[in-house]
Amino acid sequence: MTATEKTKSTRTGLSSGRKELKEIIETCDSIAARKFNPFFMDVKLGVDTLREYFPFWNEFEDHCLDAHAINRLSEVVRLQNTQLKFQSSALYADPDFVTRKVERMSEKRLAEVFLQSWHPVTELEQLTNGGAADALDYWNLLLPIAERWKRNEYSQGTRPETTDSDTLTGLGIHGKEFGRELTDLWNDLRQKYSVEKKPVDYWEFVKGASYQETVQRAYFVSFLVTYGYSKLQVDGDQMILVPNDEPLGKVATGAVSLPIPIRREN
Amino acid sequence: MATETQTRSFYSDKLKRAVHLLLFRRGKIPGAREWEFKEKVGKNYQQVLAQLNELLSELDLEVKKVTEPRSDEISTAESHSTLEEARYFVALKGTLGVKEAKMIGWRIDNLAALSASIAYLVSKQGKAPREELEKLLAQKFGRWKAMTLADIFLRTGYLEEDDAGTMSLGWRTRAEIDLRALMTKMAEAKV
Repeated sequence: MTATEKTKSTRTGLSSGRKELKEIIETCDSIAARKFNPFFMDVKLGVDTLREYFPFWNEFEDHCLDAHAINRLSEVVRLQNTQLKFQSSALYADPDFVTRKVERMSEKRLAEVFLQSWHPVTELEQLTNGGAADALDYWNLLLPIAERWKRNEYSQGTRPETTDSDTLTGLGIHGKEFGRELTDLWNDLRQKYSVEKKPVDYWEFVKGASYQETVQRAYFVSFLVTYGYSKLQVDGDQMILVPNDEPLGKVATGAVSLPIPIRREN
Repeated sequence: MATETQTRSFYSDKLKRAVHLLLFRRGKIPGAREWEFKEKVGKNYQQVLAQLNELLSELDLEVKKVTEPRSDEISTAESHSTLEEARYFVALKGTLGVKEAKMIGWRIDNLAALSASIAYLVSKQGKAPREELEKLLAQKFGRWKAMTLADIFLRTGYLEEDDAGTMSLGWRTRAEIDLRALMTKMAEAKV
């Protein structure tokens, strides 16, 4: 082998070795995050790979990568040990078995099973330092009501009234399944966003053929935003909607409530 | 005789202090840690708690010792506990019926979802990605409700979530739920 060929082979070994080690680390991290079964990883093969590429490492970073891979592999071995102990314990149940059981059992039966093993804690709730601090933070961050009304130029509307189920059905709040309504509206928003290739104006989107329809669409949009299926951004006087491809799943840190009055002229 | 009276009065005072520590919530989590008992009740706090347990058992309540897990392993045994990690609670000794659970503010579907979530997490050795858990709940309770349910269980302390979005069993699950019984009943349940 010539010197040039040798250098080329070393380079290939270096780059493929780094790639393989990174793959090992990623797989180990996924196992640690419970995305895969610990026995998904063949630890012996992992160690053999590390041994194979060890002669190529000259740089400090490569040795660090090697050490990191060993560390992650040892974590997988620990998880495999835990898994074996768990399987030999009385608590062992296969996740697929539990999933199938949950799918097939009625809600009432599931609740009954839970109640038979539930021994709720008794306590007397009272004001605590932590609770008082949370409350203080809330009130300190809240603008005075006059400021909030001034900023949004609210007008005094009619007072809330009670209503019956017939009226709710007439408004479209009853009837069609809530989840399906939301999904339809989300798909509608995503389609509009992909066609226009820019954020969708809030009022344009919620505007319906009648005032009732506008209120109904605004009501559903509030759920889309709360559940993380869409972002609502305030840009000066304009409010825009940007749909997310996947729901965020939880309320973002620093999320605020945004009351939006709907006037008949809207 | 005089000594016996003194001992009773001594215990009565300590019993009061112990029950105040157990029942009145002072922080985010109810109950009291072992060091608090040592400090406020004294070195013989375990005897005091044993006596209190006898009194409470007549009311279908019991003093329960729960230990914080130090590793990923989940267990129903208390053998690995250390003094610093234990917390005491007063919990119901028996169990509640469906009607009673409704009366204390629980919906049947929420209880069913909690049952499914805990059983699934136990089957995954106490940890699972949030997406997986929500997928399981969505199949049974609908996609929109799944997220709300997960948030409810996090807020009430039955589940915990770390920065990487991995869900695990929370302090309330460790304190209130007999995991062995839950898994056995789940396996035995007829569908």
